[in-house]
Amino acid sequence: MSRIGTFLTRTKGNRDTADRFGMQDFLAYSYLLFGVLIVLVPVAWTFFTSIKPERAVDNFDTRLLPYAQVETDIPGVGEKPVWIYTDETGTETLVYKAGPTRSVTDVATLDNPDEVFGVPRDTLEPQEVVRIATENYLDPLLKRNGQENFNFPTYLYNSVFVTVVATLITLLINAMAAFALSKYRFRGRLTFTILIVATLLIPSSIILVSLFFVVWSFGIFGSLWGVIIPAAATPTGVFLLRQYMLTIPDELLEAARMDAASEWRIFWRIVLPLSLPALSVLAILSVIWRWNDFLWPLIVLISDPNAHTLQLGLTQFAGEFNTDFHYILAMTVVTLLPITLVFVWLQRFITTGIATTGLK
Amino acid sequence: MTLASSLMLGLLLAWIGGGAIWLLTTRRYRVTQTGRFAMDLLGFPVELAQSLFGRGGVPYALLLPNMLIFGLFTFSPMILNFYVSFTGGSSIILFDRPWIGLEKYAEIFTCEDYLVPKTCSNAGYNFFTGLYNTLWFVAIQVPIMCGVALLTALVVNRNIKGRGFWRAMFFYPVMLSPVVIANIWNWVLNRKGVLNSTLGELQGGLNALAGLTGFDMMATILLAVILIVVTERALRSGQEPSLAWTTVFAVIFALLVTWANPMSLIEMGGSFWLGCVLALGLLWVVAQGGRTARITLLVAAALSAVMLLSIQFSTVFDMGRYRPNNWLVTPNTGWPFFWLVFVFCWSHMGFYMLILLAGLQAIPRDLYEAAKMDSTKPFRAFRKITLPLVMPTLTVVIVLSLIRSFQIFDEVYLLTGGGPGRETYMIVQNIYEVAFTNSQPDYGEAAAGSVLMAVIIAVFTFFQLWITRRQSEL
Repeated sequence: MSRIGTFLTRTKGNRDTADRFGMQDFLAYSYLLFGVLIVLVPVAWTFFTSIKPERAVDNFDTRLLPYAQVETDIPGVGEKPVWIYTDETGTETLVYKAGPTRSVTDVATLDNPDEVFGVPRDTLEPQEVVRIATENYLDPLLKRNGQENFNFPTYLYNSVFVTVVATLITLLINAMAAFALSKYRFRGRLTFTILIVATLLIPSSIILVSLFFVVWSFGIFGSLWGVIIPAAATPTGVFLLRQYMLTIPDELLEAARMDAASEWRIFWRIVLPLSLPALSVLAILSVIWRWNDFLWPLIVLISDPNAHTLQLGLTQFAGEFNTDFHYILAMTVVTLLPITLVFVWLQRFITTGIATTGLK
Repeated sequence: MTLASSLMLGLLLAWIGGGAIWLLTTRRYRVTQTGRFAMDLLGFPVELAQSLFGRGGVPYALLLPNMLIFGLFTFSPMILNFYVSFTGGSSIILFDRPWIGLEKYAEIFTCEDYLVPKTCSNAGYNFFTGLYNTLWFVAIQVPIMCGVALLTALVVNRNIKGRGFWRAMFFYPVMLSPVVIANIWNWVLNRKGVLNSTLGELQGGLNALAGLTGFDMMATILLAVILIVVTERALRSGQEPSLAWTTVFAVIFALLVTWANPMSLIEMGGSFWLGCVLALGLLWVVAQGGRTARITLLVAAALSAVMLLSIQFSTVFDMGRYRPNNWLVTPNTGWPFFWLVFVFCWSHMGFYMLILLAGLQAIPRDLYEAAKMDSTKPFRAFRKITLPLVMPTLTVVIVLSLIRSFQIFDEVYLLTGGGPGRETYMIVQNIYEVAFTNSQPDYGEAAAGSVLMAVIIAVFTFFQLWITRRQSEL
């Protein structure tokens, strides 16, 4: 008995160094399993539901695979869902419902559609096949079947535009500020550093109203620039890049100055390429912030449907067609897909980047 | 076109036009050097600063765009907030707004009893309802999230298989947008959604099980065997009780207290909470070690045997038909609030876990090896090594999550919309609705609310910093 226990709880390593698989490990793994249940299952469930046909979604079908009831064209009757009728002897016949569903329902066989007979309701089973409901995705994307209001290409374009332009501006001006703070000695350096730290203490939601006034007076309210510009300068980015640029040796810069390179050229040709790792971390962070941004775009862009980002479009969509869960879930999957792919691809960069800056 | 926008246009023209002329007159470019020209044009102000003031002017030119944006879109709104809060009317042109002094603040503070929002004026009612809900939310959510984040970081920091995967998995929700999160959880928590159907099936299964003959006896015997095994493992002879096994024991113990329902003897509810408190107390005593730990564990084992015999399992597990719960809509149940806390933790926990993980990994390994040499028990090592050394990181996490969760808006707005009634109506939603969705936008009042909120956040931050400073001095 004890030998079996030893065998089962053995771990890698030799007799002296390896720890036994103890209760602590068991608890740790059960916690992780619980994590899978809480974190991954809802997301996976959303995906699996989004490929189910409308009827299955409306009936809250909890089976994993997308089952759809078979429909056939019956001559003289039209499109009808097919049911399997099981009689007392156990033989199964394909039928369709000729009347409303009651405790004794009128049905007729597919071969002989005119001969209607009554059967108990609980002997009928839907005939189902596995079918991926691509229409959930294609209807809103191609604006078919009354889904004209969800202007996906516009939303996608706006989201991509905001994300790309804002990230480029953020990278450029943050790198410039970080270069100044890390490689120059000048009067007021400490003041500027403190000012940038101070912006960390001003959360965006407490300046909502007056920022609205500022943005309005600049004439960029209601346009995508009103979302891009105000948050382009980030204290996080400045500090992340400054920490990294401090590690670039000054000799490189001096050598370039010897060759009469201008300061801007030093920045563009030497410092920027050398701080590429930090820049990529900031780029990823910025993309995530911008793609997921909600409250400020809601204020600035809500009045103009053509300026909605994907997040706003999805909110409006979910609000308008609150019952069409199959479309909402499909569009949710479409929205979360890019960020998920970026995450899976660049997961290591993102986690280390956030762990080293400790800022959001 | 407003003054500011024409100013911006002029600046842009001066940059591109003036820059091009200046560059083309002072330097020579060949046609193949168009890329270099574009680069120089982009940095034209920096080049100009260098040629005018020498190298000393360059850092200021480099800082200019960043500081300009900070100044215009962060600092000046901060100051403007005060001004707007002293003005009335609904005009969005600053000069058209009449100065009304402290009227908006007075409107918010017109209350008979500040602790009961219903006795306030209309503006005060909304503000204080939002404030108290938010304070409740922060008070409940921050400790839970920090605790869970620390626990997760500890688990992920262990020597487990697939560490990178688990870390990424817990971090993944942070990447999702609030809209996506809200849609996912709306779907899960729907009245006919997957949570209700799973719970219904579980309860149905339990009911069917409880209906079997001999279920009572079987359950008693099974639990007795499990209890004996767990107690034996926890009380290995000659050693102090193992904490991990005691945890398992404590969970079973709490369940037994819940089922045996000793509080019904004095005709009160809350056996579940009694069980939780007793289990936690047991864990605490055992974690201290020594002889009291053994004795307490033995007493708890004897108690649980008595309780086990008193439980009628067939009645405990027969819970009747499951009624699907409308989690996010039913008023006066506390469920909307609970799910808000849950979803917020779900979506933000991974971020704080990562920071804590970095803090944990900075702790030198040899401290633990020294502790192992002295055969220190894991819990003691946690309390005496891990906790003090991770404390600075934990403080940062607490402050960050405090500030973050005080500003909760997206999740509430999309999941419950502040409802049912005003149960989950938060302060940022108040500001947003007053300023932007009312038919008569009242910017003055929203700004006054923002100023008050800023004061509260500042107080929070400084209080927190003060506390932790005291701790680090000790």
